[in-house]
Amino acid sequence: MRNSTTTCLAALAGVASLALTACGGVSNTAGGGSDSGEYPQGAVEMPVGASAGGSSDLISRQISEGLSDELGGSFPVINREGANGALAAAEVAKAEADGSTISVQNASLFAITPLAVAEDEVTSIDDFEVVQGVSRDDYVLVASKGSGFTSIDDFAKAKDKITYGTTGVGTGAQLACALTYNVNDTDAEAIPFDGGAPALTALLGDQVDTACLQVGEAIENIEAGKIVPLSVFGPERVEFLPDVPTAQEQGLDVEVSQYRFMTVPKGTPQDVQDAIAEAMQATFEKEEYQAFNKQNNLTPLEISGDEVLAMLEEDKQRYADLVEEYGIDLGDAS
Amino acid sequence: MDWNAFLDGFAVVTEPTNLLYCLIGVLIGMLIGVLPGLGPAATMAILLPIAYNAGDPVSAIIMLAGIYYGAQYGGTITSVLLRIPGEASSVVTVFDGFALAKQGKAGTALGVAAIGSFFGATVSIIGLTLLGPIVASYALDFGPPEYAALALLGVLLVATVGNGHTVKALVAAAVGLLLATVGSDTFTSANRFTFDSLELQGGIDFVVVAMGLFGVGEILYNLEERHGKIHVPAAIANIWPSRKDLKQASPAIGRGSVIGFFLGVLPGGGAVMASLAAYAAEKRVAKDPSRFGRGAIEGVAGPESANNAAATSSFIPLLTIGIPANASMAMLFAALLVVGVTPGPQLIDENPELFWGVINSMYIGNLILLVLSIPLVGIFVKILRVRPAILAPITALITILGVYTIRNSVFDIFLMIGFGILGYLMKKTGFEPGPLVLAFVLGSLMESSFRRSMLLFDGDATGFVTRPISGTILAFLLLVLLLPLLKRLLRRRVTETTTPDHHDHDDHDERAELR
Repeated sequence: MRNSTTTCLAALAGVASLALTACGGVSNTAGGGSDSGEYPQGAVEMPVGASAGGSSDLISRQISEGLSDELGGSFPVINREGANGALAAAEVAKAEADGSTISVQNASLFAITPLAVAEDEVTSIDDFEVVQGVSRDDYVLVASKGSGFTSIDDFAKAKDKITYGTTGVGTGAQLACALTYNVNDTDAEAIPFDGGAPALTALLGDQVDTACLQVGEAIENIEAGKIVPLSVFGPERVEFLPDVPTAQEQGLDVEVSQYRFMTVPKGTPQDVQDAIAEAMQATFEKEEYQAFNKQNNLTPLEISGDEVLAMLEEDKQRYADLVEEYGIDLGDAS
Repeated sequence: MDWNAFLDGFAVVTEPTNLLYCLIGVLIGMLIGVLPGLGPAATMAILLPIAYNAGDPVSAIIMLAGIYYGAQYGGTITSVLLRIPGEASSVVTVFDGFALAKQGKAGTALGVAAIGSFFGATVSIIGLTLLGPIVASYALDFGPPEYAALALLGVLLVATVGNGHTVKALVAAAVGLLLATVGSDTFTSANRFTFDSLELQGGIDFVVVAMGLFGVGEILYNLEERHGKIHVPAAIANIWPSRKDLKQASPAIGRGSVIGFFLGVLPGGGAVMASLAAYAAEKRVAKDPSRFGRGAIEGVAGPESANNAAATSSFIPLLTIGIPANASMAMLFAALLVVGVTPGPQLIDENPELFWGVINSMYIGNLILLVLSIPLVGIFVKILRVRPAILAPITALITILGVYTIRNSVFDIFLMIGFGILGYLMKKTGFEPGPLVLAFVLGSLMESSFRRSMLLFDGDATGFVTRPISGTILAFLLLVLLLPLLKRLLRRRVTETTTPDHHDHDDHDERAELR
């Protein structure tokens, strides 16, 4: 009797400790072999504002591994999804400015989300130091087989209102689609879904006519001929979809892309920022990392933090102007 | 179907390394399944680096898949023994599972659940092997209107769960629907009931609600109940279900497996709907529905078979059209990307070895799980012998840890404790937490699907009736609603025209009161 009690207590304790170690961020590797001066001192947390498995999460994990190889110590990725990444951002902004909390963040949170949410919910880039650019993730406008669209010009022939699925409110996918239809003067209705997979499902099942998705989400079904790509939204064509024209090429002044960059809390010492940037650049050189980018259809955007900042400011202004010009309200798909 | 590729798949699985990976996967899965909160998706995320380093990508995928379906077995254990459902799809197991455990029949419940899980999963793998692509295309016919109708049906079925008053169940369900609206609205990004809290913007997680209402609520209630009483350990008479139990459970296992297979293919609410529908079906076909909620073995067998079948058939959209049906499937998607394979319609032709290797590993993995479960049932039921003074803090610890691991948020822990107090008050006043939790899960599905449908229909609600599938679901829903009324009406007429004696009249009066 006594004995059996201990057995199951031990079993429970075992499970509990598994959970503790597994959830990460607990293990301390203080003073762990670092070869670039003092950084890092102990474990460095990397909150990511998305759930496990999405591209933001995978990129963070890839960078985390690279940093850990270059600098020693551990860089556990912690998923803090919610509010388009604002939760994770708030955590980083509040964290101590010593490099113990760093985060790869999305441009959309700073440049696009402000167009959809109330002013007091806007996350400002001024709370962070931008250390290093990472990569670009392009959007593609795709049509379902049933819709019969093969190019943007076909929209003119549509009898009814065209429906388009988006990956959520305040995302680049929504902005890209909304701008396309407005600039092209097409009558269209946005149907927001919770992320790319449900939007793709609806498109495959002909529930919506078109959708804006990230290239990585759509590419396999494009290649299998199940959906038809109409346009990409980057400054130039996407390496992975060489036959798909950009919106600019088709005469539409629409350029939207998602890009990610490394941020640290405002006021983090310059030498820490430099150490991170150097370690990231070394990671970018690795074959494994480059293969990862290819596999996930990511275009490298390995520019300096200052360049990222300039790009963000410019995009933010451009999006705001376009949205105002065409009277688009991203938060109004009621 | 390509039989050669299928058989080659078995050759892949039976390689010793792959067998070992499969065993490790299901073992880890089962363990993390026991701990609610740290779900299979999070575990797979942590173990994803193995996919980079494994010599053979197939081994890594086999292991990660094993974690997922292994967790389905483990999840039952806490539902039955401690009344904490780790996943939405095991909420319905709690009602009869925990009731059975209290009667000292935890072994029966766990045994039947293990057998049901094995059977459900196996039926589903056979379905996946033979019908995968066909079923996948039927899942695509489910658009927003169909989901809205299905979720509405689900909310209706919620009222039949448990054995409390229908009115109280509906009240609890309404509260659940209300809670589902908390957070940033996904259509307009307007904040609803967030009270300016950034933490609430992302909405409330299911695990927070479920563990609070069930787990913590039960602990608090027991503290009061047992205060001053001497603890009498529940007699554990039988470790293994008797022949009679199995006979009683087997039709339920069969029905649950089929329901689970078909509903599980639907991304989103598939698994929850499956377990709920299986429970409702059992209650409907039972000779004596009043046993449900008080320890009916079918109430465990049906939903457990269904949720395992659903877990397995959720592989179908991923492997045949490249759509992850849930968070764990999204992780598997990521893992496949890591090993250089993009899941999609071309997977079966481009990587038959991987496709069939993974599917066939599930036949073997489930067999391992069944064999593992048998001795483990014997060990786990002994948990019930632990004094509440020791068990309660451990349960509390598990729930707190579990909740923390979802979003690494301390706020969620306090929120869960809040729900625990609510759960305690509900139990004191005779409200069941089940309908609240299930309505909470279905609420956001129902709301967003309904709004999406209205956007698609351009505001014209007749579309719900004119589309074949949603129309059929709504007709079925009407039938379920009206059937009891019709039956009553018919019975009354029959008794009135034949022999209306006093006894019968009493009966009617009683029934009228109940209504």
